[in-house]
Amino acid sequence: MNDLIIESTDRTPAIRFIRHTLSFEIEGESYPEDVAAFYGQVIPAIEQWQQSEATSLKVCINLIYINSSSMKALYRIFDVLDQGRASGKQVSVIWGYVEDDDVMQELGEDFRDRFPELAVELKVTD
Amino acid sequence: MKIDTAIAMRAQMQADGVIMAYNGEISDELMITLAEILKRRVGDGADPKRSRTVFAVFMEGVQNLIWHSVGSARPGGMVIISEFESEVTVMCANRIPRAAAAKLKQTLEQLASADKDTIRQLYREGMSRTVDYEGPGAGLGLLEIARRSSQPISFAFVDVSEEDVDYFIAARI
Repeated sequence: MNDLIIESTDRTPAIRFIRHTLSFEIEGESYPEDVAAFYGQVIPAIEQWQQSEATSLKVCINLIYINSSSMKALYRIFDVLDQGRASGKQVSVIWGYVEDDDVMQELGEDFRDRFPELAVELKVTD
Repeated sequence: MKIDTAIAMRAQMQADGVIMAYNGEISDELMITLAEILKRRVGDGADPKRSRTVFAVFMEGVQNLIWHSVGSARPGGMVIISEFESEVTVMCANRIPRAAAAKLKQTLEQLASADKDTIRQLYREGMSRTVDYEGPGAGLGLLEIARRSSQPISFAFVDVSEEDVDYFIAARI
C-alpha cells in the first residue's frame, strides 16, 4: 500500500491517500476528459487498502462540481469503502460542501442514505 | 448561405436573447472553452450558484451530445444558450439512430412529468445501477439535467431519414 498524491487541475480533483495517517482526501472539481484513466489510478489504491491489514480510514470529500460520468467512479469508491467497513475496518467519511450548494448537499445525502453504515457526515465548508 | 440569410439569423438570435450558439463538430476541448465562457457570462461573480448550475447543465448536455451523436468518430450537434428575463435556456441538438430514439423518448417523457423528488429517486437508483466506471454515465447525465432544471425539461424529435432522427432537449435555469 503506497501513498497516492495527485495535484488538482481545472478538471480533476486533488487526491491525497496517505498511508501512515490512514487518510484519504478528494478535493476540487471532477470532470476529467478521461474518467477511466483518472479514477483508474485512485480506485486501485482504495482496493489495496480494503485488502490490506489496515484497520481504519479517514475519508474527506470536498467536491465543488462532479459530472455524471465521475459519479460512477465515486460510487465505486464508496462501494469499496463499504466493503472495508463490512470486513471490520473503521471508516469515517466527511462530505464537505459550500453553504448554499444544495446540489452537492443533496449528493452527500444520497451517498449517506445509500451507504447508511458508513455514517457519512455532511459538513459545510468555507 | 446568402448574407441576407445570415443577417436574418443574427436578428432572430438577438430577438430571442441568444448569448451563445454553435452548430458543427464538437470536441471535448471546445466544450470546455464554451463552458468557461458561459460560466463567466451568466454568473458574473454575483450569483455563483446559478453560474454552477448553468455550467453543469451545459456540460452534461454537450457530453451527451458528444457520446451519442451519429457517427461518433466526428461527434457534432448544435448548442444554443439564450437568456430571457433572467431565465437561461440551455438547448442541445444532435442526430441519433432512430432505434435509440424510442427508448430515449420514453425516458424524457418520464422525466418531463416527474416532480423533483421522483427525479432525485431515479438519480439515486441510477447511481447504484452499475459499478462499472468506464464510459457514459448510465443515463445519469439526463437525470442531472432534469434535476438542475428549474422547469420540466422539454424535448423534440425530428425525422431526417429512414435511419436517423434529430433530437432536441432544452432545460431552463
